[in-house]
Formats: sequence, C-alpha cells, structure tokens
Amino acid sequence: MTASTALRASLALGAALLLYSPSLAGAWVGSAKTRLGQAEAAATAGPQVAIAAAADEDYCSAHLKRVLRRVLQSCGLLSGGGGRGCQPLEAQNVAALSGSDFNDLFVPLSDRAGIIQYDKASHELDHADKALLEQIFTDQKGASYFFVVSRSSPEGNPVFNRDLSQRRGEAVLDHLRTTFNDPDLDREVGLLWLGEEFAQLDTDFCGWNRSGDGTCTGKDINRSAFVAWIDCRL
Amino acid sequence: MTSRAPIVLTLIAAALGLFFASFSTFDFVQHLDRQVHGIHCSFVPGLGSTEVGGTGCHVTLMSPYSSVFRDLVWGGIPVSLPAMAVFAFLFYKGADILLRRREQDPGSTGLLVLAWALPLLTSLGMGYLSLVELDAACKMCIGIYVASTLGFVGAVASRGLRLTGGGGGWRAVAADDPDEDAELPPTSRPADHIPAIGLGVGFVAAALGLYLAVAPDYSSYIGSCGELAKPQDPNGVLLTLAPNPGGTPAIEVLDPLCPSCAGFETRLDASGLGDELDRRALLFPLDDACNWMVNSAVHPGACTISEAMLCASDPAAVLHWAFENQEQIRSATTADPGAARSMVTAVFPDVKGCLGTARTKKKLNKSLRWAVQNELPVLTPQLYVGGVKLCDEDTDLGMDYALSRLLDRMGT
Repeated sequence: MTASTALRASLALGAALLLYSPSLAGAWVGSAKTRLGQAEAAATAGPQVAIAAAADEDYCSAHLKRVLRRVLQSCGLLSGGGGRGCQPLEAQNVAALSGSDFNDLFVPLSDRAGIIQYDKASHELDHADKALLEQIFTDQKGASYFFVVSRSSPEGNPVFNRDLSQRRGEAVLDHLRTTFNDPDLDREVGLLWLGEEFAQLDTDFCGWNRSGDGTCTGKDINRSAFVAWIDCRL
Repeated sequence: MTSRAPIVLTLIAAALGLFFASFSTFDFVQHLDRQVHGIHCSFVPGLGSTEVGGTGCHVTLMSPYSSVFRDLVWGGIPVSLPAMAVFAFLFYKGADILLRRREQDPGSTGLLVLAWALPLLTSLGMGYLSLVELDAACKMCIGIYVASTLGFVGAVASRGLRLTGGGGGWRAVAADDPDEDAELPPTSRPADHIPAIGLGVGFVAAALGLYLAVAPDYSSYIGSCGELAKPQDPNGVLLTLAPNPGGTPAIEVLDPLCPSCAGFETRLDASGLGDELDRRALLFPLDDACNWMVNSAVHPGACTISEAMLCASDPAAVLHWAFENQEQIRSATTADPGAARSMVTAVFPDVKGCLGTARTKKKLNKSLRWAVQNELPVLTPQLYVGGVKLCDEDTDLGMDYALSRLLDRMGT
C-alpha cells in the first residue's frame, strides 16, 4: 500500500468513526423522542397507577350502601350537624328493613366486628370491654365509618331499655374520644341505640368476637354494643 | 512479537470498549422517553434478556455518577457517550498507525499511550465510585474497564517494545519484525500530533454536540403533574426529615423499605438540591400489614419500620438506618414477620414501648388517610415542592433537571 493510499484509507476510516457516535446517539435520542410523544398521548387516556382511596369491599352491595347512607344521614353523621345517634324507631324507619334483615347486613363484617357485652342494667365498660373496643377501633385499615349499635335485653321497661342502650353506645364513644383524642372521630363514628325494640341479635352472634365469656343466652348477647368498621365508600 | 501486535491489541480493546460503551449509551438514552426500561446487564450484551431493576447495572445507571450536567439537560449527558467517542477515536488512531506504518514512530505511539491513559484513568475513577460509593458492580462497566486496561497495556507495549535512540527521535524496533528492513515513514515531531489531539477532541465534541442538539425539550412537563388538594396536617402525620426553615416547603411520600426511595435520597443528596428544601415525610408503606391499598406486602416490614419512625425522637435516623439495611429487613421479615420489630428495636431501643400500640397504629393509619384525602398515586417515592408535584418520571434520571426548574419556579 502506498503512503497516499494508506492516508486515504485512514481518513475514510476516521470520517466513518467520527460519525459513528453522533449518528447512533442521534438515532436513539430520536427514537426516544417518538416514544415520548406516544406516551404523552397515551397519558391523556387516564391515570396509569392506582389512586389512594378508602376501602370498598365486595360486601358493600348497593343495598348496603343505600341503608348506610340513610342511616348515616339520619343519624347526623353525613350532614355534619345537630345531634348524634338514632333512636330505635328512627333507625327502623331509615333502614326500612326488618330487624333480621338489618342484622344480616352486618354478617359479612364478622372478621372486623366485636360485641361489647355489659352487665345487666349497666353501661359501664370493664377492662375486657375496653381492650376489645380498642383492638377493633385500632384496626381501621381503609374503613370510613365505625358503627356502634347498642342494645338492651328484652327485660323490664322499654323506655328504660332505650335509655340504657343509648348510655351504652355513648360509653363506647366517650371511651374512644378519651383514649384516641382523634379529631376525625365525629366524622367516622355513627351511633344507633336500639333498646329492646328493633333488630335483637340472635344467639348465632355468640360465636363472634365478644368481650364477655362463659354462657351466652339471647339476653346476654343483647346487653351489648356491636362495634365494627364498615369498609364501604359512600 | 512483531511491533504491530501491541497496536492490534489496542484495536481489539478499542472495539471492545466501543461495543460496551454503545450498549451502555443505548440503555441510558432509552430512558429519555421518561418510561421504565430493561437494561443490558451481561458481559455479552445483546444475547441475554434485559433486566428491569435490582441489579448492579440498574443501580449504576440510576446513580448520580452515570451522567454529567444533569441540571443542564434532562438526565444529563451519559458518561458512556464520550466513552463511545473516545473508543472510536482510539480505534481510528490504532488503525491509522497500522495503515500508515507509524508503529515505530515514537511520537505516534506516545500519543497513543497518552490517549489510552484517558479511559484508563476514567475507568479507575468510575470503578472506585461503583464499588465504594454505590457498592454495585455493573457488568457493562466492567467490560469498559477491561477494554481500557487492555488498550493501555497495548499502547505501552507498542511504545516500549524496544527503544533505540538516534535520528532526532526514538524508534521502537522488534527483533523479529519482518518489515524491519522496509522503508519507514520519517519520524514525527511533537507538533505533528497537534491535529490528532484536536481530532480526538472533535470526536467527543461531535457526539456531545449532536446529543445536546437533538435532546427532547422537557420544560413543559415541569409542574404539570398535579398539586396537593389538602396539604394541611391536622393530625400531625408529616415527619420532619431535614429541617431547613429558609428552604422551600416540600413533602416526600416515602416507604422506608422502598429501594427507589433510597435511590432518590442518594440522588437528592448528590444533587445538593435537598439543601434548598424544607423537607417533611409522609409515610406510605407498601405493606398490606397496614396499607389496605396494596394486595400484598410489596416491602415486608415497612409498616413496622414506619411505626418506628413515628415513635422515634429522630425519625431521620431511623430512615437512614432503614435505607442502609433495606434488603436485610425485607428478607428477614419475609421469613419471620416479627423480624422487622426485632431489628429496629435492637438499634433504636427507645421505640420499643411505642411500637405496635393502638395510638401508633392509628397515627400510621392517619398517614395513609392523608394520602387518600389528597388522592395520591399508590407509589413511592413522590415529592411535592410547595404543593406542586415533581412528576414521577422525573424522580430518577431527570431529577436534577426537573427539581431545579421547579424550585426556580417556586422562587419566582
């Protein structure tokens, strides 16, 4: 190879290599640019990732949500003003259900609920009651509403029992307020005191997570406050 | 050995370096579309499948050391791009010596030694950063280090095979060189090599110039990814990470066991932009033990470590420890659900009485509910500067570029 041929070959190779990096990088950047435009167009179709939201479990049927909404509105929870809690007849009216149908709505909550059991004619919470209540209330997860449905056993005066169930529900709320000092409590906790007049629990509920031990008769299970987080979005 | 053999070795090394640097640049440039991509992570790139994350290659690519001038251009200029240009030049230079029979010209071989010193020194520096700072080994990078070393050895060998004095310069003559008696070109003078040095600079400048010229414009994305709807914190769930009263208020949504969050922290530290922020953290553990928004424990133990941060007097210290030990905590918790608690209380015994209490669990739940109220995406990390979101696509390679511009916007 002559010197001039070698020089020409060297220059040709140099020119090719000089263009190698810019041309490849340019082509790759151009391709990324195209994909960037395509991704931008696709992004307008909607969010690609899940958005943080409260829980809405499968058991939250349209029927359950309708009842919840009525109960929550009528009991002052969603409206945000006025008194808190529903009296038995109000609860019956807003639920528009029979007592057993009302109780059936809560059956899917068996893993999330607890039954706080009281002594006869008492609304005082003992140590076991408080422990169960705190355990249930702490396990909020994504639930939006905490229901306290208090009852009395069908003995004695219905008016006294209605008042007793109200005091039982309020004892629960007071304990939560004192223990957790949670500013969201008033937006989350709904009280229903049912006395002895509506939706009495049957003994099937004796198998649920409850604070009382030993025997569990129909009277025992209704001297209670049913507490549960409701994993439904309204 | 002939005097041409070392030059041939430099040619092979340059081709090898060019090969690895090209794949590295390709992997980097892929990310300019702001999407997640697999990267080559093999000593034989192109033959195996690409890998998305968790490898040393990925750690290295996403590290602050993979590119330069990150605040000037989105992602910065990948260091592998000038490497491509340098190896291309070195290939040319070796071929030129062979074609023009300059292998016995001390000026030409001397320049080759000097030129090969550049990738060698760079490889030493990058190798140190990779192993010491990142604790990660990148196979593609190792390929470049090996090529640089081989090339330098070849260049030195070509220069020092045999030196004889006289004629106003040095001549390297091999005893068994069949072409020894052939007519050789005249020995070059130092000034003869100035154009070659300029050409080498031209190789790099052409690559960088074109890259900068065609890089997409990302300015329209800055501040376009939403704002916090309810930034107030009535429940006190936001933790102070780096108090800086003069800085721009910022909220980082993080999971203490999320590798991306640890990587983000490293990049933020390296960029220096963290010093301009008054940063608070919202804990968002991607662990179904406390977070109902995920179906499984993406980061097992994250709920416990988050509780520890809520309990600790210095949550930043817990976070720093968690970032350092993420993999051990996650794998230990997978084997034993109580492991995260044992590990964190061993290092931070003060949190023992607070972990797992009703009050702490409630507070962590409030933290997650803060995310619900603000309708945040279920992912970490996220950064909100003055309530404006740094786009998720800008939390890795594009962070310096996007965050500096977002801060400028806040300043104005």
